[in-house]
Amino acid sequence: MSAPAANCPNCGAPVKFRWSSAVQTTCEFCHSILVRTDVDLKKVGEVADLPADASPIQIGTEGVYQNKGFVVIGRIIYEYEQGGWNEWHVVYNDNTNGWLADAQLEYDVSWPATPPPQQQLPTTPPQRGATYVWDNKTYEVTSITKAHYKGVQGELPFEYWDKADVMFADLRSISGDFATIDYSENPPVLFLGRAVEFDDLHFKNLRLFEGWTS
Amino acid sequence: MINNPLFLLYGVLLLGATGYLEYTGRSFDRINQQKVLPKSIRDNPGAYRSTYGGYSRYIGGK
Amino acid sequence: MSCSLVSPPLVKAKSLSCPNCGAPVTLRGFAHTLSAVCPNCLSVLDASSAEFQILQTFQGKERIQPKIPLGARGTFNGAVYEVIGFQERSVQSGDDFYSWDEYLLFNPYKRFRYLTEYLGHWNVVRVLSRLPEPARARGRAAARMDGHTYAAFDSMKAATSYVIGEFPWQVRRGDTALCEDYILPPYMLSAEQTDGEVTWSLGEYWPGSKIWQAFRLPGSPPDAQGIFANQPSPYQGKVGSAWRTWLWLNVALFALLIVFTFLKSNREVFRQDYVYAGKNSEAAFVTPTFEVSGGNKNLEVGAHADVDNDWIYLDFALINDETGQTFDFAREVSYYHDSDGTEGSRNNSVVIPSVPGGRYYLRIEPEMGPTAPSTRYEIFVRRDVPIYNYFWIAALLLLIPPALTTYRSLAFESRRWHESDYAPAVSSGGGDD
Repeated sequence: MSAPAANCPNCGAPVKFRWSSAVQTTCEFCHSILVRTDVDLKKVGEVADLPADASPIQIGTEGVYQNKGFVVIGRIIYEYEQGGWNEWHVVYNDNTNGWLADAQLEYDVSWPATPPPQQQLPTTPPQRGATYVWDNKTYEVTSITKAHYKGVQGELPFEYWDKADVMFADLRSISGDFATIDYSENPPVLFLGRAVEFDDLHFKNLRLFEGWTS
Repeated sequence: MINNPLFLLYGVLLLGATGYLEYTGRSFDRINQQKVLPKSIRDNPGAYRSTYGGYSRYIGGK
Repeated sequence: MSCSLVSPPLVKAKSLSCPNCGAPVTLRGFAHTLSAVCPNCLSVLDASSAEFQILQTFQGKERIQPKIPLGARGTFNGAVYEVIGFQERSVQSGDDFYSWDEYLLFNPYKRFRYLTEYLGHWNVVRVLSRLPEPARARGRAAARMDGHTYAAFDSMKAATSYVIGEFPWQVRRGDTALCEDYILPPYMLSAEQTDGEVTWSLGEYWPGSKIWQAFRLPGSPPDAQGIFANQPSPYQGKVGSAWRTWLWLNVALFALLIVFTFLKSNREVFRQDYVYAGKNSEAAFVTPTFEVSGGNKNLEVGAHADVDNDWIYLDFALINDETGQTFDFAREVSYYHDSDGTEGSRNNSVVIPSVPGGRYYLRIEPEMGPTAPSTRYEIFVRRDVPIYNYFWIAALLLLIPPALTTYRSLAFESRRWHESDYAPAVSSGGGDD
């Protein structure tokens, strides 16, 4: 997964991309948010110190989902009224990307839903309990969350450092399918995926916690 | 059947007892067995007094 | 290559000072902990921000000691978990007040688990990410998940009455939630609803001894009192297999009956008609002799009498013509019938167990009431007869174990459901165990 290396325009430290389609990344050393243009990297902002979080996943953690290996290359940390969660950006060994949500140690893998679903997404966030059918599965809205980003890290597939509040609708099906509608854009974006168990992802290179073996 | 080993044992013993009782031909009836009787009974049946002589509703043997 | 200044390679547990009393508070849940209770002054503190503010001070009278101490580590499903939080939840409904304990188990790599304990009954619980669907079973509400149906057991409003340790959400004494339980022993599906959302979790019943083993705790667990909602029945599976065993035993019994019916020759060796003509006829008489085959088999001596609402008493003696060996017995044949039904039978017989072969005759002394009419009766003798009584008795005795098991199983389930919302109404306050 070698990609062209570059240097941080702010501090000069080497910046490596694990994924060729990454649009944005952060410099590990000076915390600058860097956006990739055709020619070089441009600093667009700075990340404040990331809040302490207890996710066992870190950038560089490897795992396997349904026989496809992946590497964690970036994340967005969200914060909402009752806490926060991580959206880890992962890239699979076939160079496709996806997301791994890590909330209270519950994990959900998801991908942007393509092609657009038959049933139109509600333009405003739906009520809890509303149901939709995508891909022959019935999803029920389990939570509506108003959140904002708390920090970014690593490679992302888009430019993102906006601190405005964003609405998310989480949906689940009876058989463990997971969906989320991201209302940060118009039209809203749908992600479909599945709830997964920690053990089923066969993680390697996890964070180490004092007093625990992984 | 494996869940109730005691029942199976009980049933097998019961069947065994039934078979044994059936084989020996026993019954619940109470019979009074007597020693040898004089041959004169045949000629004079009325002279024989059995333990069941005389009517009273059959109460039961000794 | 991931070494980042933002995420340190080894995460350490933070230790802060309680803003109320200054005692140290260690956050063993790392950054998961949002609420932490000061172990010294029992104030609930906000651990989500650096300020570590006091959310609630302790107004209660006494501390509650959890049965499993904070910090204890135990093994569940192959992973080690540490107790980092404890809550007492209580329910007040009418005159009933009861409470149960909850323990928060933490492993930084796995999900949280919970332990619940009520009157010595333990459950290991995990939060579900998939949803059960509502259903109905046997006329009552139920929940269906993964092809299994869980029957509604009870629902209640539970309040947090005591809290120590750490929690990954905001917790305060007095917080309430609406709880609903659905059971499929040994499992229990529970829904907890606060105004924000509904959380489903699945619990599995564990006996106290297993919990004590998992944590390697000293001493013994508290005794379990009564029967808990999802406590597995000791009769599970035994009722069905008991009746299946019963069926096979009856088949064997029937086969035995067939075998003996064929083995026994059941041969008639004597039959003769007689008439009782009242007191005038001779009191006693003897029959002609008849041959009885060899072997010590049984002999049936019986009578059929045409009595009608009357009785005849027959005194028998079976006498061996050669040896004089005698068998004494008597039988009454009575038969009554009216508009209500019948009583008695026109037949009666006796089976003599071991009768040696030889030549025999019967001495018979018949007797009827003084006003009895002239009655015809018939005497018969059969050699080597099957006795069906034994089979009836065996069949009856075979019924006892499965009936007993079924009764015990039903009684167990009845005690289980006595604690539910569906218990038959009791007039006086149904005392909790």
